Amino acid sequence: MTYEVTVEPTGEVITVEEGQSILHAALRQGVWLPFACGHGTCATCKCRVLEGDVDIGEASPFALMEMEREEGLILTCCAIPESDVTIEADIDVDDDFMGFTVNDYQATVTNIEDLSPTIKGITFQLDSSMEFQAGQYVNVSIPGVEGTRAFSIANTPSDNQVLELHVRLLPGGLGTTYLHEQLRVGDSLEVSGPYGQFFARYSDPKDVIFIAGGSGLSSPQSMILDLIERGDDRKIYLFQGARNLSELYNRERFEQLQKSHSNFHYIPALNEPEATDEWTGYRCFVHEAVNQYFDGKCEGHKAYLCGPPPMIDAAITTLMQARLFERDIHMERFVSAADTSDGASKSALFKRI
Amino acid sequence: MAKKLNIKDKYRLLTRDLDWAYSYADRSKAFPFEEFEGIKITDWSKWEDPFRLTMDAYWKYQAEKEKKLYAIFDAFSQNNGHLNISDPRYVNAIKIFLTGVSPLEYQAYQGFAHVGRQFGGVGARVACQMQSLDELRHVQTQIHAMSHYNKFFDGFQDFSHMHDRVWYLSVPKSFFNDARAAGPFEFMIAIGFSFEYVLTNLLFVPFMSGAAHNGDMATVTFGFSAQSDEARHMTLGLEIIKFLLEQHEDNVPIVQKWIDKWFWRGTRLLTIVAMMMDYMLPNKVMSWKEAWEVYFEEAGGALFKDLARYGIEMPKYADVIEKEKDHVSHQAWWTFYTLGHAAGFHTWIPTDQELDWLSEKYPDTFDKYYRPRWELAKKMADEGNRFYSPGLPQLCTTCQIPMIFTEMDDPTKTCYRDHVHNGERYHFCSDGCKDIFCDEPEKYVQSWLPVHQIFQGNCGGPDVADILSDFYKMNVGADNLDIEGSPDLERWKKWQNAS
Repeated sequence: MTYEVTVEPTGEVITVEEGQSILHAALRQGVWLPFACGHGTCATCKCRVLEGDVDIGEASPFALMEMEREEGLILTCCAIPESDVTIEADIDVDDDFMGFTVNDYQATVTNIEDLSPTIKGITFQLDSSMEFQAGQYVNVSIPGVEGTRAFSIANTPSDNQVLELHVRLLPGGLGTTYLHEQLRVGDSLEVSGPYGQFFARYSDPKDVIFIAGGSGLSSPQSMILDLIERGDDRKIYLFQGARNLSELYNRERFEQLQKSHSNFHYIPALNEPEATDEWTGYRCFVHEAVNQYFDGKCEGHKAYLCGPPPMIDAAITTLMQARLFERDIHMERFVSAADTSDGASKSALFKRI
Repeated sequence: MAKKLNIKDKYRLLTRDLDWAYSYADRSKAFPFEEFEGIKITDWSKWEDPFRLTMDAYWKYQAEKEKKLYAIFDAFSQNNGHLNISDPRYVNAIKIFLTGVSPLEYQAYQGFAHVGRQFGGVGARVACQMQSLDELRHVQTQIHAMSHYNKFFDGFQDFSHMHDRVWYLSVPKSFFNDARAAGPFEFMIAIGFSFEYVLTNLLFVPFMSGAAHNGDMATVTFGFSAQSDEARHMTLGLEIIKFLLEQHEDNVPIVQKWIDKWFWRGTRLLTIVAMMMDYMLPNKVMSWKEAWEVYFEEAGGALFKDLARYGIEMPKYADVIEKEKDHVSHQAWWTFYTLGHAAGFHTWIPTDQELDWLSEKYPDTFDKYYRPRWELAKKMADEGNRFYSPGLPQLCTTCQIPMIFTEMDDPTKTCYRDHVHNGERYHFCSDGCKDIFCDEPEKYVQSWLPVHQIFQGNCGGPDVADILSDFYKMNVGADNLDIEGSPDLERWKKWQNAS
């Protein structure tokens, strides 16, 4: 038995297993909630229950006092949901967050193309238009696969009757194997969305750095095209990392964009180019390309990172050592269903990193 | 309709607006301590409030906590709670806490009040003032929690006087004096970050779980009450280090130097907790080594992994610290055992069962280096020659701990370091302490080293017994010496027979 916990004011939704604490589930699903001690004595994680039933667990009577219990406050580190629950946490809502409603859609496949040897671009027609912010993602139900799989939206919000997803084939991955091998044009899947706190902060006028790895080009593609559609003239840098030239998909598209828009700079990096690639660009990991390109100084930018966790991790370190910090780094980690939490202790130093 | 303010904006308006512009006065004169440490602050507005608590909410919560806490103290006292403790030896851990740790809470109150005045940023000032109030509450509630024991056991009567004068209590006292005599930013890295965030669990968890395991409800309850405030202190510690590291790249090496210094000083200070966990708790919680692994190596390791993104490295001598977990508790308790006539609490030889527990918890070191000493001590005590060392120990100029620690790669050899400054030779227990001295010799040449002061005739005397009774205000023969034959133990036996 699992319960859904909605976290206000952001509206993020997490799934909590039987007997699992809300905090435990949230941190493992990438949703940040305030916390410190983790065992009910410090009260950093105090939240208000707006709806639903919660067992307050082992909360210390000094950390969560009687009067607070009566008011419906809980400590998320030891609170166990007993129904679907909505809580209100002391977290900041981004002024740029539009909060579009999550809806269910029927999505019909209109095109499948090979973007690279491992990545397919799948385009769907939606049964009704979906409002979303560039950078957000959808959950896709795949026949024969339990639960849903998350994919970032690669098209722009102005084109909201369609859905373009980039799907990398994960060895042994049930969902991606189905999408790569069985899905046909004309098939229809259930999709829900939009989700996520990864979106462009247009209200901040700083120049932007996008760092994309693997199929993580999807969100940056949507955000960059959206920025350009809006006529935004800030400088935009796209660093795209791939193993070799055949994996460097949509390259021509961004090279064209660079020619037509002087504020857009496209910087691809290959970490293992083939001899036949005749590659003259950066021959290194994408975060190393960022460091070289900016000569170790990234202050004054906003950065958006999208891709596999090791790439994100390396990019964060590069950016922080180049003096760009948490408030200016936004990220979407592509965690696969096979990735489970390694159980390592997490320090409370960063909120979103 | 005006937009509803979120909690963050509301708090910002309530606190940041307390600041004002310096239109006719020189701002740098209002905050004279802000620059001399070399820390560069470019924009105080980037300070993110680590907690959002208003004074009216603070009073409301704290009043409720106090009501609950004092109800439990009353119940503990009325029910003769001291009779329910595991063993009278336990009370000696509480004596160390009251004389060694509670006065530090008072120093923390003073320190945070000072920086709560001196920071140029109003967000940081408000946060430090709040913590200052918490620390004052902690010292008061700790004294009240332990006051019950003062009616029934020796050694509690003059804790604040003892804190100022007794030789081993100069270790915690000088630790905080060092931090408070530093600039405001170093104080925050020393106390707010290193101590309150990283090392606090190693201090509180052993004492509070120790109390719980040994039937001391008053201390356990105080612990829970204080821990509900600690969250604010921990988040403040984190905010200060992030803020300094993000404000300017020139701050990074300064902060690293302070981390190196205060982690070393902190681990030296925690030696006393190590000894308490392994030797003084009749019902054990976990070994010091286990606590160190959980709370420092695991939790601290995760923190330093994150700090590495700022270019911060593990504290200097982390490799030595890792080896020390196998040794320090044994070396410290042996020192107190052999100087038990000059301590304000009782000492004893571990029971056979406890020796076995230590052998099990310290398989690499205890049987090889430490068990034979206790077996010899036991043999001597059984023959009527309970051993007390007649001399006064040499102290480390930096941490003020006697030179009891060994080379970690050769635990049979005492570690001595020395350094000549202005023609005077100074002595140190370790490379860590020597480095700290050499970085600021002008500060540490002023150390008030208790043993030096005794030899200089500044502490009365001439005999040790005179110093103990006249200068330290100990009740000689009651507060000190072995627990065997002590009035504490005699009273305890009478209570047991009476019930």
